[in-house]
Amino acid sequence: MAAAEPKLPEQLPVTQPRHVGKDSPRMEDPLMVTGKVEYGNDIRAPGMLHAAILRSPHAHALIKSIDASRAEKLPGVAAVLTGKEVKSWSRPVFGVPEGWTGYALAVEKTHWVGEPVAVIAATDRYIAEDALELIEVEYEPLETVADALKAVTGEGPYVLEGKQSNVAYDRKFSFGDVPGSFAAADVIVRERFRWHRSSGNPIETCVCIADWNPVTGMLTLRGSHRSPHLILPALVISLGVSSQQVRIIQSPLGGSFGVKTFARYVILISLMAKKLKGRAVKWTEDRIEHLIGSSTHAWDRHYECALALKQDGTVTGMKMELIDDLGAFSEWLAIGMLLKPLLCLGSCYRIPNVEYACKGLVTNKTPQGPLRAFGLPPHFWVLEQLLDVAAKKLGLERNEIRRRNFIKKEEFPYVSPSGNVYDSGDYEGSLKLLLEKSGYDRLLKEQEKARSEGRLVGLGVVSSIEPGLTGPPMLALAAPRIFSRTSSPEGILVRIDGFGKLIAELGFPPGGQSQHSFVRQILADYFGVELEDVQVITVDSLSMQPSTGPISSSMAIALTGAVLGAAARLADKLKRVAAVMLEARADDIELLDGQFRVRGVPGKTLAAAQVSQFMMARPDLLPEGIDGNPEATYVWNPPDRTIPDERGFGRYSVTAAGAQHLCMVEVDRATGQVKILKYVMVDDCGVRLNPSVVRGMLMGGMAHGVGAALLEEYVYDENGQMLTSSYMDYLLPTIMEVPAAEEHEMCTPSPIAPLGVKGVGEGALHTTPAAVLCAVNDALEPLGIRITEAPMSPLRVWKALQGASR
Amino acid sequence: MATSRTVKVRVNGVDHEATVEARKTLVDFLREDLGLTGTNVGCEHGVCGACTILMNGETVRSCIMLAVQADGAELMTVEGLAQPGGELHPIQESFRDKHGLQCGFCTPGFLMTTYELLSKHPHADEEEIKEWLSGNLCRCTGYQDILESVKLAATRLRNP
Repeated sequence: MAAAEPKLPEQLPVTQPRHVGKDSPRMEDPLMVTGKVEYGNDIRAPGMLHAAILRSPHAHALIKSIDASRAEKLPGVAAVLTGKEVKSWSRPVFGVPEGWTGYALAVEKTHWVGEPVAVIAATDRYIAEDALELIEVEYEPLETVADALKAVTGEGPYVLEGKQSNVAYDRKFSFGDVPGSFAAADVIVRERFRWHRSSGNPIETCVCIADWNPVTGMLTLRGSHRSPHLILPALVISLGVSSQQVRIIQSPLGGSFGVKTFARYVILISLMAKKLKGRAVKWTEDRIEHLIGSSTHAWDRHYECALALKQDGTVTGMKMELIDDLGAFSEWLAIGMLLKPLLCLGSCYRIPNVEYACKGLVTNKTPQGPLRAFGLPPHFWVLEQLLDVAAKKLGLERNEIRRRNFIKKEEFPYVSPSGNVYDSGDYEGSLKLLLEKSGYDRLLKEQEKARSEGRLVGLGVVSSIEPGLTGPPMLALAAPRIFSRTSSPEGILVRIDGFGKLIAELGFPPGGQSQHSFVRQILADYFGVELEDVQVITVDSLSMQPSTGPISSSMAIALTGAVLGAAARLADKLKRVAAVMLEARADDIELLDGQFRVRGVPGKTLAAAQVSQFMMARPDLLPEGIDGNPEATYVWNPPDRTIPDERGFGRYSVTAAGAQHLCMVEVDRATGQVKILKYVMVDDCGVRLNPSVVRGMLMGGMAHGVGAALLEEYVYDENGQMLTSSYMDYLLPTIMEVPAAEEHEMCTPSPIAPLGVKGVGEGALHTTPAAVLCAVNDALEPLGIRITEAPMSPLRVWKALQGASR
Repeated sequence: MATSRTVKVRVNGVDHEATVEARKTLVDFLREDLGLTGTNVGCEHGVCGACTILMNGETVRSCIMLAVQADGAELMTVEGLAQPGGELHPIQESFRDKHGLQCGFCTPGFLMTTYELLSKHPHADEEEIKEWLSGNLCRCTGYQDILESVKLAATRLRNP
């Protein structure tokens, strides 16, 4: 790169940034508000067939036989695919650790209710679904294990064929002197916690359109799957295809929250396309399938935790032991959600001695899959609850105990006990701002008054961090052979045409994070043009640069780095051409406000369009090493990351956004319903490229967090039968449950990330469950009860209230 | 066996006559037979509101209605909101200006609900707006900016 990467917006080659840092309108919106955006399910290919999937009604059963002959004869049915063919045409779905998954379709037995057993392709979805009913499957039900605490005992039944255990992962990490800290503690608090599984539930379900050309061998995939460079290896491994013969064309996403990063259904529909020999087949997941079957559940955890403290409230040690029910397979990257807390075991707090023991169990439930915040919300909730309990025990105010343990402003960059580095922050300042803005003292008085009236009103004030741009190094702890690498590349191509208009090609589509908009903002400022002069498009997997996609809040960081790098390279090329045109030395040319000029020589300037025109028109005059192509690519990689050593010590992430939230709730004594009376947050995600986009991510994360805290839960019976397979049972928060929150900004720019940004896309989901759940327990305190299960659903709270009144 | 019926509807001011299976849902008819893919399917059981359209001026869930039930009706979908020249409707403009959408998938449903609300209650207050929007799920925005979008749209429609 020619120039040093700008660390703040003021360092862009513009007198005053006009777009970066401003609420500029999103370029994604006009298509979206007019219904013209083409989501996956809107795609129609010539001669396209439609798939429907038959799913197992049993949590665990042998497949004795499948007879699809009646289904095949139904007019309109083109093909039926069963496990036998899937086994002969593919390898098991990719997963970490290796060897703990099954095929994309059940072969000898089924492992959870909803596991695909057969796929049908027909001329129309209605016919395909009719045909499902004509398939006869003979099952022999097997003993089921739907409880991780039973699965961990080592006694059968075993979920996976050929295994004599259900423990897929078992690892204890220890940093500092944990036994010593507990032996020397003045006070120890111990608790058990239970976090039940929920998920992202984007309003758009998953879509895949596959077309496998038997002549060229080319597999073309369209639809809602994202992060092609992550999906591709899974396809290559499972399907045995050659990487350059797979072309993934992504559609705009109607939400993802991590769940569309997954490859199982893509493998399945690709295999159906293989059978169809050149006819495209579309599968659009229906909502029931999404709820029961699409490997998108997350965090089914049992915790046993302890904090060691000094009398003054200083936390000296922490032990956290957890068992996570992964569901039937340890599929894809789900195990990473157990490992991510390792990056920030102490959250915002300086806890020098920490032990983290995690087990991943397989059971006869839906497999887990990646979900926004990737395993941190339960971790932070548990830690914040422990701090509240410890504060009460020590007679300290809830904020005082936090203040005494916060990492101080002057301690950044802070190296955590596990070796990860937090780039910058001011947690104490953020808390101060939060308490001021929320009128904390007044709220305490209101609470006191409410309590004197017999009302159950509670407050929660909690903290968290959001590690931005985590990735492969973390996964190396479970799969060193595959993931011992420090890269999470994000690449972009930027070009300028002969009219001076800019075009950027990215590797991912619009999906709610507004990344096309902020690429446009940055380029508009860099080259001093209007927003309308920048076009941003998504390209397919064969055309795109190396890309990781919007994972772990990487977009603002990695894409900003990629755009700046490509812009600098392009500007450098143009400068060398401008030097010819201006008869000056290339080193003397500068770009400012979109004009190329000789440094120190005012008045003689060239617009970027003049330079790009010249570049393409007069190859005979171009300097050595410059071709006639005004474009540049750049691949940004996170700096300073390391591969973890054998203890699990390593530098895993790039930024650490901080968040402090206050929540005030009232619990209805009669119904157990929790009403959020007040919600205030302070967020420090460094420089905000587009404040309203950041606010949107935070508010959306908060809504997701309210759902996770109070409503959303996948419930299974003891036989592994799922009881929440519609939105009548799996409850999502509406505008009535999600409070109107206040959001305040603290800004400590990242010294590492380009333009000082920090990842914040996973947002308030990190913090909100802890804030809400701490507030509910505070509300219940006068009754002498505490709830240690999430979600604190109306039923769960009501039951606790009944227990208290007896 | 599936039986077919003839259905006559006027959608966004255009008359259509088509033969459809009696079991076909209204949203599938709009999307597949008429090519109006702006209306999205989110849950297929009437909870999420993504498929909301107007039928004779009132919002309906097109995923839990059959096309044949719309016979003779006047329908309006998100494609009918913008002006004929392509100019955005004030409701669309307001959602854009107030960041009332992120991924945009639930947005057509919110827009159509807002359209009926503001047609009938141009002075709707915050509580009324929330009541009306409570049948539409959004997973991205956290609702607050949607609420602000509707308030702005109400103001703009009252003072064009």
